[in-house]
Amino acid sequence: MGNFLLQAQPSLNFWNGENGSTGLWLKIGLALLAGIAMIFVLMQAPSQARRPIVMFVTFVSGLFYVLYYFWPRPVDRQPGELPRDFVETVSFYIDDAFGIVTDLSSVLSGLLLGLGIYSLLSVHLRRISRKQRDWGFSLVLLVSMFGMTGIGYWDWISRQGEAGIRLEDPNNWTRINYVKDMFFDGVLQNMDAAMFSIIAFYILSAAYRAFRVRSIEATILLVTALIVILSLMGAVEFLWNGAIDGITRNDANSFMNNLKLTEISKWLRDTVQGAAIRGIDFGVGIGALAMGLRIWLSLEKSGGKS
Amino acid sequence: MLSQVSSWRGDQYLDTGWVGPFFTLLLCVFILINIKRAGGAKDLFIRRIAGLNAIDEAVGRATEMGRPVLMVPGLSDSVNAIVVQALNIFSYVSRIAARFSNPILICCYSAPIFTVGQEVIRDVYNQEGLADKFDPDSVRYISDRQFAFAAGVSGLILREQAAATFFMGEFYAESLIFAETANSIGAIQIASSTEATQTPFFIAACDYVLIGDEFYAASAYLTRQPVLVGSLVGQDWCKLTVAFTIMIGLISNTVQLGPFKHTQLTEEKKDAKMKPLEKPRPASLNDTFMGNLFKKQSDPELKIERDMDPNFKPAEAPAEGGAG
Repeated sequence: MGNFLLQAQPSLNFWNGENGSTGLWLKIGLALLAGIAMIFVLMQAPSQARRPIVMFVTFVSGLFYVLYYFWPRPVDRQPGELPRDFVETVSFYIDDAFGIVTDLSSVLSGLLLGLGIYSLLSVHLRRISRKQRDWGFSLVLLVSMFGMTGIGYWDWISRQGEAGIRLEDPNNWTRINYVKDMFFDGVLQNMDAAMFSIIAFYILSAAYRAFRVRSIEATILLVTALIVILSLMGAVEFLWNGAIDGITRNDANSFMNNLKLTEISKWLRDTVQGAAIRGIDFGVGIGALAMGLRIWLSLEKSGGKS
Repeated sequence: MLSQVSSWRGDQYLDTGWVGPFFTLLLCVFILINIKRAGGAKDLFIRRIAGLNAIDEAVGRATEMGRPVLMVPGLSDSVNAIVVQALNIFSYVSRIAARFSNPILICCYSAPIFTVGQEVIRDVYNQEGLADKFDPDSVRYISDRQFAFAAGVSGLILREQAAATFFMGEFYAESLIFAETANSIGAIQIASSTEATQTPFFIAACDYVLIGDEFYAASAYLTRQPVLVGSLVGQDWCKLTVAFTIMIGLISNTVQLGPFKHTQLTEEKKDAKMKPLEKPRPASLNDTFMGNLFKKQSDPELKIERDMDPNFKPAEAPAEGGAG
C-alpha cells in the first residue's frame, strides 16, 4: 500500500497531505462526503431546479480553467515560499490545485468505465442467451475481455514490490508473466498492427476513386498528388533532378532549379497545403472557442431542436 | 535581478506573453457581443452547406431501405467541446430517425461519451414523445483501444448493413477504415474531422464532408437558434481579425526585413532584453516586431524574494524500484 501512496507526492500543499497522516484521511473523507452530498442534492432536486444546479457546476468548473489561464501566475515560485499578497495567494492556490482538478476527470472516467462494461455485457450476454446471429463472436469478446482483465491483474500483482525489479529481466519471469506477454504483446498488439496495416489497401482503393478525372478539381488533385508521389520515389527524383542539373550545368543560381521535382513538391507542401491546413486549423480553433464559451455559460440548448 | 516585479505581472504576462490572453479575450468578446446581438434578430444568412442538407436525404434513404443509421462521435477520451458538438448533430439525426421509427446505432470510444450520449439520445426520444421506442442498446460502448474500436465499428457496419453513416469528431488513422468499409456496402456517408490530417481521407472516401469550422457551424445551420447563429457571426468576426492580423504581419515583416535586401542587425533580443551583437547579421523572421510579439522570451535572471513557510518540509523522493 505504501508504494501506491509514494507514487504521487510532488510537494505538500492545501490540496494534498503527508502520506498516511490524519489530515490526508480527513481531506479524503470530506471530499467523499461532499461528493455524495452533491449527488444526493442533485437527485432530490425537482427537475426544474436541476438545470440551474448543472449550470452552476459547469460555470464553477469552467471558471477554474479560465482563472488558471488569465489570473497572474506566480513568477519564479520556489517550494515552501509564502505568497506576498492576495493576488499571489489566489495564484498559489490555483497553481497547487491544477493537477488535482485535472485528475478529477480521470476519476470520473474511471467511474463511468463501469457503465461502459455494463453496456457491453448487456448487448453481448443477450445475444448469447438468445443464440442470435453471430453469437459466437460475442462469446469470444466476453471471454477475451474477462480473460485479459484477469491475466493483466495477476501479472500486475506479481510485479508489486521488490519482485518488480527482479521481473524486469525476462529470465526471472513466472508462468503468469509469460501468459500475459503472449496474450498482450503476442496477440493483442499484433492484431492492432494488422488492423493498422489494412489502411494501406484502403488508401489505394480510396485514392483510385478520388483521383479519377471527373472534374477540374479532381484533375488538379491528381496532378498534385502525382508530383508529390513522384518526388518521394528515389529513382524518379534522381533522373528528373539529374536532368535539370544537366541543363543548368549545376548552376545553383539558375531559375530552372525551381523545376526540380523536390522543389515543386516542397512548394506544394509548404505554401499550398500548409496554408490551407493553417486556415482550417484557425477555423476549428475559433469554433472550439465559441463552443467552449457556449457550454461554459450554458448558452447551448439541448440538441437538435429548432 | 527584478525582485520588485508586481504580483499583478503574472508569469504568463511577462515580456510579450500578454498578447495571447489579450487576443483570446478579444475573440471571446466578439463571440459574446454577437450572441447578444442575435438575440432579437431573425433570418440571419448562413451559406448553404451541402453535407448538412444531405442529412435528411441520408436518413430518408435508410428508412426506405429499412436499415439502420450508424453514427460515431470520434475518438475523444473524454466529453469535450468536439464530442458535445458531434452529439448535437447526432441529436438532430436521431430526431429525424425517431420520427420515421428508423433504428440508429451510436458507437462510442470511451465510457464518458457512452454515458452522455445515451442520455442525450434518450432525451431526444422523450422530447419527441417516443420514449418507448428508445433502445438503450442503440448507444454502445465498443472499446477504448483505437484499432479494437476500428474493428468493432467496421464489424457493426458490415453486419447491420448500415444505410447511412455519420463520422463526426476527432478521428485519426482509423478514419479510412470506417469510410471504406461503409463505402463497400454502399452507405451514404457524411463525415467531418477536427483533425486536418484526416479530412483528405474523408474527402476521398465519403459522399459529403464538413471541412474545418463547418463542423461547429452545423448546429446553428440545422436549428437556426439565435444564440448559435449569433455565435457563428462572432466566429466570422474572429476569423476576420485573424486574417487582418496576418495581413499586418505580412506587411510589417516585409518592411522590417527589407523587401529586396535583408536589413543588417547590430543588436538582437535575447532573454527578454536587447543585447548588442558581436558582428552585424541579416535580420530573420524571429527578429521582426511580429516575430517577437508572438514568441515570449523569459528572463533567467528574474528572481522574486518571498518569505519562507516556517512549517515547510521538503517532500521525500519516491523510493527506488517502487510499483511500476
